[in-house]
Amino acid sequence: MKVRITNGMLMGLVVNMVYAKAIGLTQGIMAREAGSDMWMATILSTLQGMAVMLITVIVMLRLPEKNMVEQAALLLGKWGGKLIAALLFLFFLGAFGTVMITFVYHLMDYFLPEVPVIVFILVGGAVAVYAVYQGLEVIARMALVGSFSIIALNVLVLFGSIYQFDIRELLPVFQNGFVNTIKASRHNDTDWAMATLMTALILPLVRDRLTWKKSAPLAIVYGGLFVLQWPILEAGVLSPEMTGQYIVACMQLARSAEIGQFIHRYEMIMIAFFATSALVQTMMSLMCACMSVSHVLGLKDYRPVILPTTLVLGGFGYWVVLDHGRAMRLLSDYWPPAALAVAFGVPMLVFAAGFLRKKKLAAARKEAEEEKQAQMRKSS
Amino acid sequence: MEKRKVVKGTTLVLWLVISSLLMTGCLGSREIDDLAMVMAVGLDKGKEPGTIKVTAQIARPGDVRGQTGAPTAGTGQPIWTASAEGRSIFEAIRNLARYSSRRVFWAHNQVIVINEEVAREGVSEIIDFFSRNHELRMRTWVVVTEDEASHLITTKTGLEVIPGVSMDKLFRYSEIVAEAPRTDMRTLQAAYLSRTTHPVLARVSPKNRQISAKANGEFGSNPQVELSGTAVFNRDKMVGWLSTKESHGLLWFVEHVESRVITLPCAGQRERSSTLEMKNAKFQVKPVYEKGKVEFDVRVKAMIDLVELGCPDVEDQYVWMQQAEKEAADLLRGEIESVLEAAQKRYHVDFLELGKVFENHYPAEWRQMAQSWDDAFEKAQVRVTVEANINSPVLLHKATKSRK
Repeated sequence: MKVRITNGMLMGLVVNMVYAKAIGLTQGIMAREAGSDMWMATILSTLQGMAVMLITVIVMLRLPEKNMVEQAALLLGKWGGKLIAALLFLFFLGAFGTVMITFVYHLMDYFLPEVPVIVFILVGGAVAVYAVYQGLEVIARMALVGSFSIIALNVLVLFGSIYQFDIRELLPVFQNGFVNTIKASRHNDTDWAMATLMTALILPLVRDRLTWKKSAPLAIVYGGLFVLQWPILEAGVLSPEMTGQYIVACMQLARSAEIGQFIHRYEMIMIAFFATSALVQTMMSLMCACMSVSHVLGLKDYRPVILPTTLVLGGFGYWVVLDHGRAMRLLSDYWPPAALAVAFGVPMLVFAAGFLRKKKLAAARKEAEEEKQAQMRKSS
Repeated sequence: MEKRKVVKGTTLVLWLVISSLLMTGCLGSREIDDLAMVMAVGLDKGKEPGTIKVTAQIARPGDVRGQTGAPTAGTGQPIWTASAEGRSIFEAIRNLARYSSRRVFWAHNQVIVINEEVAREGVSEIIDFFSRNHELRMRTWVVVTEDEASHLITTKTGLEVIPGVSMDKLFRYSEIVAEAPRTDMRTLQAAYLSRTTHPVLARVSPKNRQISAKANGEFGSNPQVELSGTAVFNRDKMVGWLSTKESHGLLWFVEHVESRVITLPCAGQRERSSTLEMKNAKFQVKPVYEKGKVEFDVRVKAMIDLVELGCPDVEDQYVWMQQAEKEAADLLRGEIESVLEAAQKRYHVDFLELGKVFENHYPAEWRQMAQSWDDAFEKAQVRVTVEANINSPVLLHKATKSRK
């Protein structure tokens, strides 16, 4: 029996997959490009994320038993499927790098500057390997815990910084132009890209397919709302110029927050509540990379490739994180075009292939239906 | 089956070994009794040209306890102050480590005191260092003094055992008197990085205020740190001071002013006075851009209580309250006009955040004049309207007068 997760768990995974990087590193980059429009760029990006998620779900619903790679293999042939799987592996390799930048720079730069980078990579990697061995359901349950942590963190940061909030810093709207704001939103789009491509791989494992169309885009809305609080507070409390000054902007907001004279150092609270989300990102990036590799190699189970894939991802993560300048160049210059090309290109390619090869698609759907009925007869 | 058990057991043992190595918490650990906790820091110019002197006020936790209760072992001095010089702040701090028996730890620093001479040369290096350092808080207060910062750091001030803590509390409750802006590292950095605004910092100076417990006949024998006035900056360089009156006017523009004391002299008897307390106020700035001219309408509406009626000739306090409204409004308007005069005519810099207000209302026009905003600001006409409502005599229905 295949592992199944609920729609709620899928929503938790989507929210966690986006949150950790989107609130800090992404906002810092967007503040440098869009200034006080960083919050508008986040809204626009959320809308774009919803659209891509909807397209992904529509593609998946054509053959709900198969994930995006399996669909691609069916429609584009064996090697077409392998090519898509290889592309997705490269995507999740890059995603793992960006997740590691988020994870390590939060911990190392603000708490443990004397600890070598390799220790963070080993710890993050070890936790991710353990979780991926345990399977999707375990990670999804952790994502639910992570979602509650996210809510708690948002509420605490709101309480700790609202008294310093100056709405004038959010104005004027589209200060640097609408086109520039849209352009800046691509950075947050890369965060949504991780969520949509993850969904493309795990959606067949989500139980109630009738509500996929509703729950997956709704997860983006929830994730967007959780993330949106941060650019608004960062701009209103720190100012857009100051937000753009830092690598990890959310920690700067945490450094400025306090509740009375009792809760001073929000950095600790921030890490305590944010760590689950960051680890879920690490786990899911690794899991999706492993699934992609198993498709490339034609394996039925992804477990045999966990260790080699971890070594590749960990090695890349270590190389990226080691140099702050390289990490920031990857995040702001190279990652957006690469990530968005895959996130938008792959679902559109599979959609177009299904459109052109309707007969094959119909035959596969019929075959799947017959298989399902046979299974039902067998079980009854 | 047996083989699987062995694999599982080996994996478990491996996990435990890796976990015990990685999760000891030893990496980067610092024991609390190895730390020298800085509570306040002073920055002066060094003896050699191009050097800076850093003075750190460090808490002695054992003696902090000894001061309030039974004396414990130690010197009885709650603080240890040390200074060192260097070509940069970081070098000076590292030089402190040459004779500090503990590792200097900045996470609990409450205040950064900058000497006027250093401030006039520029504070960009200070902003960069203190915002880059992860140990420091962004809510650390930043002040300027015309005195030596090292002297101020060593001054025992306030009720608290540690002077740094006293200065922190001084700021926390300073909104009651509203005589200096509450400037911390966050507001300083934001103003410095801003495209529209120049920074301001609170001014502190030692004043002989305290009555010594040992020689209480000598009034004002001990100096106390007083928070009063403002240092004005053009970008990162200090250009001058604002008086207390001008600082009162400044706070309307840069902070949310709710409370303050207004003292009015009595009509006919100028040596006597009555006191009002502002309880609530609304402040609004509206920019107007017409025919290439920048103008601002500043409106203040203050709700005021009568807290002390010291004028002996007042028959009906309600009549007096009505008459005093104009006088209170004139006083508030005078303060606002004085800070406008200082910004536009004396220092020629916009530290009142009027550029930000203009940009928000006229973004397209702002783009054209952003580079020359300081010129436009100088020429801008600002109209100030103040409405004061003295509507509560608090508890008393009648003025306090002898019935004899």
